[in-house]
Amino acid sequence: MLAFITRRFLLLILVLFGVSVLLFGILMTFSPERRAATYVSSPQQAKDIPKIIKQFGLDDPFYLQYFRWMKEVFKGNMGWSLVASRPVWEAFWTYFPITLEMNLFAAPIVLFFGIWLGTLSGIHRDQWIDHITRILAIIGWSLPTFLFALVLLMIFYGYFQIFSPGVLSDQLKMFIMDNPDTFTRYTGMYTIDGILNGRLEITLDALAHLVLPVMTYVIVVVALNMRVMRSGMIEELSQDYVITARAKGADKHTIHIKHARRNALLPVITVAAQLIAMSMEGSIAVEVVYNRHGLGWWLAESAVQLDMPVLMCICLFMGIVFVITNLTLDILYAYIDPRIRLN
Amino acid sequence: MKKMFCFICCILMVSGAAGVQAEVKNPDTFVLADYRTVQTIDPATSYDVAGSMRIWNLYETLIFFDGSSTEKYVPLLAAEVPTVANGGISADGMTYTFTIRKGVKFHEGGDLTAEDVLYSFKRNMIVDQDGGPMWMLLEALTGTGATRDKDGKITPGIFETIDKSVEVKGDKVIFHLPKAYPPLLSILCYTASSVLDKEWAISNGCWDGNIKNAAKFNNPSPGHEPLQKIENGTGPFKMKRWEPANQFVFERFDGYWGPKPQIKTGIVKYVKEWSTRKLMLQNGDADRVVVDTPYVPEVRAMDNIRLYEVPQLGFTAAMFCRKINPTGNPHIGSGKLDGNGIPPDFFSDSNVRKAFLHAFDRETYKQDVFNGLVIMPSSPNVEGLPYHEDVPVYDFDLRKSTEYMKKAWGGQIWEKGFKMIVTHNTGNDMREAAAHMLAENIMSINPKFRIDVRNVEWKDYIVQIRSFQYPLFLSGWGADYADPHNFVYPFMHSNGYYGRFMALKNDEIDKLCDAGIENVDPDKRRKIYSKLQNIWYQDAIGVPLYQQIVVRAYRDYTHGFVPNAMFTDDNEILKRIYKK
Repeated sequence: MLAFITRRFLLLILVLFGVSVLLFGILMTFSPERRAATYVSSPQQAKDIPKIIKQFGLDDPFYLQYFRWMKEVFKGNMGWSLVASRPVWEAFWTYFPITLEMNLFAAPIVLFFGIWLGTLSGIHRDQWIDHITRILAIIGWSLPTFLFALVLLMIFYGYFQIFSPGVLSDQLKMFIMDNPDTFTRYTGMYTIDGILNGRLEITLDALAHLVLPVMTYVIVVVALNMRVMRSGMIEELSQDYVITARAKGADKHTIHIKHARRNALLPVITVAAQLIAMSMEGSIAVEVVYNRHGLGWWLAESAVQLDMPVLMCICLFMGIVFVITNLTLDILYAYIDPRIRLN
Repeated sequence: MKKMFCFICCILMVSGAAGVQAEVKNPDTFVLADYRTVQTIDPATSYDVAGSMRIWNLYETLIFFDGSSTEKYVPLLAAEVPTVANGGISADGMTYTFTIRKGVKFHEGGDLTAEDVLYSFKRNMIVDQDGGPMWMLLEALTGTGATRDKDGKITPGIFETIDKSVEVKGDKVIFHLPKAYPPLLSILCYTASSVLDKEWAISNGCWDGNIKNAAKFNNPSPGHEPLQKIENGTGPFKMKRWEPANQFVFERFDGYWGPKPQIKTGIVKYVKEWSTRKLMLQNGDADRVVVDTPYVPEVRAMDNIRLYEVPQLGFTAAMFCRKINPTGNPHIGSGKLDGNGIPPDFFSDSNVRKAFLHAFDRETYKQDVFNGLVIMPSSPNVEGLPYHEDVPVYDFDLRKSTEYMKKAWGGQIWEKGFKMIVTHNTGNDMREAAAHMLAENIMSINPKFRIDVRNVEWKDYIVQIRSFQYPLFLSGWGADYADPHNFVYPFMHSNGYYGRFMALKNDEIDKLCDAGIENVDPDKRRKIYSKLQNIWYQDAIGVPLYQQIVVRAYRDYTHGFVPNAMFTDDNEILKRIYKK
């Protein structure tokens, strides 16, 4: 097991190198003028584009620019984010907890409802419960996230004046600003920091700000999990071992939950893990509409503005996330299905 | 299904907007929701509208615009506004003397002195970051708009020139100009002329005061300027906290020398999505939100909102490039006048330009695109600028357009037809509408004329303009200072920003532009700019599209806003604001 994990982590270095060369190469397809224009926000500033190219060596050969970037990365300098107006690394640790916080609450709900409703649908195939969950899944999966988020915001915040956008209410933010000694940002996540600082009102307020983003995310994403689980259950329930178990008189609960569901879980875990890994780069629509500035918003803005250091940083981060996710999946497979051996 | 869903959404949106009335919240706090971010709060490098808003509240300049006027000034850190009459400006316009106000404190406790003012001007000019605002002061005080040449090398002797351009005598600061520069007072109101505390700035890593070391502090990379995220100005507000791309919090400065502001806390929130901003305004969680033109009807329909219509000092035009770059250029088709493209010098024939100008329906454009809420300019010297006059415009007349097209290129265009692509920057509905209107009208006069309209992301757009790729491009310019030079030069001079990319070459225009900035006599300047505005019409340089009127939406209990054409909708002078 240890050798397997070590091998996979060594592979991670190769993956990161490959990702960085590939992305850097793609970004180099933009002309030096276009990359220099990243520093420009008005026609007045555009007259300095040739000077900006010289200053940053944007017309140097690819390998020179790549090694210059690499050298800085090894020094711990990921560069400056024009979108975030601060060093990339500092910005990353500001925005990542916002995204992580939402995922921490959304992921278990997605998993739970996906597996539960998918199991129910599979067991009660073509019955009313299956039809209802199928309709809900189609609606959820086909809903444009941006529009759905807006509708929820208009109903709850616009009409009922609850669940305001942002991550924390202004009063509590001002309280934290006025009393910096009484509140420490341990994790950057207000829900958890509130508990660690013994200030429950902050945790509750942050939770209230999470209701709509989590609801939006769960409703949109749970559909896929549910459908995969349903298909898995239907397939397993038609297997010979289930018929044998039934013939032997095993009770339905044992057959469904202990035998069939466990085997049907493998594809669900694969899909869920990939969904959770992907969600680490944030949901652009959710973050923009609910004014939560996490990785999704940052990545989208950086892509539009061609903020290269940010794009490199987030892609490398996602490379790490996917390698770790795949590693975790392999270990989980071995645990769930004893036929699979890690070596 | 989708249609039904959209219908339900619309119902919800309408009922959500109409059914709620927010209460007055936090009377001593003002919240502005904006969607533009701040790069830096260093006055020497900040050159965007959002950054200017922060700096104008944190720092102060020697003088400032008097209320709504863009031509009259009030003293801030100067004891009075210099004029020729009070001896503050020499008769030849080359020496400006400011007496520094007494009893002014910086946020961190230092006292303002004439030395601080002297240091600030020199330091800001020395910094001169690429893409920064310091070209304005450098042009006025040293006669050259940059400290470096085109290759980025420092111009020999430039720092010595900067050193000699400002001096202190007692409590007076004297500016020595190499030649008269009429817009100087307007430039002195800009954030780049903000005053710093010398000792504080040096202790925080700014220029050490020794001119021999100036090169070390020249052109820092973005984010590496020492004052990027710290401040110590004399303004009515201090920076309490800045969370980039999230919020900027101002706190009232109790040691302010002027009248005490009524607002204790000012918050500028970064809210990208319009619907979110709108709901914040509706619920009273924001006292003002930035409203883009397409959303004006929505705020007009809201209750408890006060709207201000503020004309902007800005000019947008469709410009003809007379020397298009043919290399690998898809916008000109075959690159020949064979019915499948246009030659690179297609627009060098004034008949073609005039045909396009007569094909632009100004009245329909004004009503359909702006609901009448726009100023239709006649030249780059827009309303609100000195020496503005309404010069003739080309009426919408497709018969005249046809006549000009028949004359153009010895009749070849009419006979063979042409094909080209017109581009506008993505997301700008006003420019998109203008491009379509021009294209449709021109195509309607001859079926052999084919024009495609495409959109390109703004940063790609400016790069392509600079490469002479576009035969016809739509772009604009906002005021740096309130003087015709800031508009006429970029659009008409052969070295002006747009003039160059239109490949304009007209010696008379160049001479007039140069004379306009060198002359201090208002009567002579009036004549010069009158002539230039008329040449814009006669030479059919471009299609004047619009001078925008921005709508500001405040909660009705928020008072104190004074409109000024120099300030975009991002700006807010917090010391004037109060809620009741």
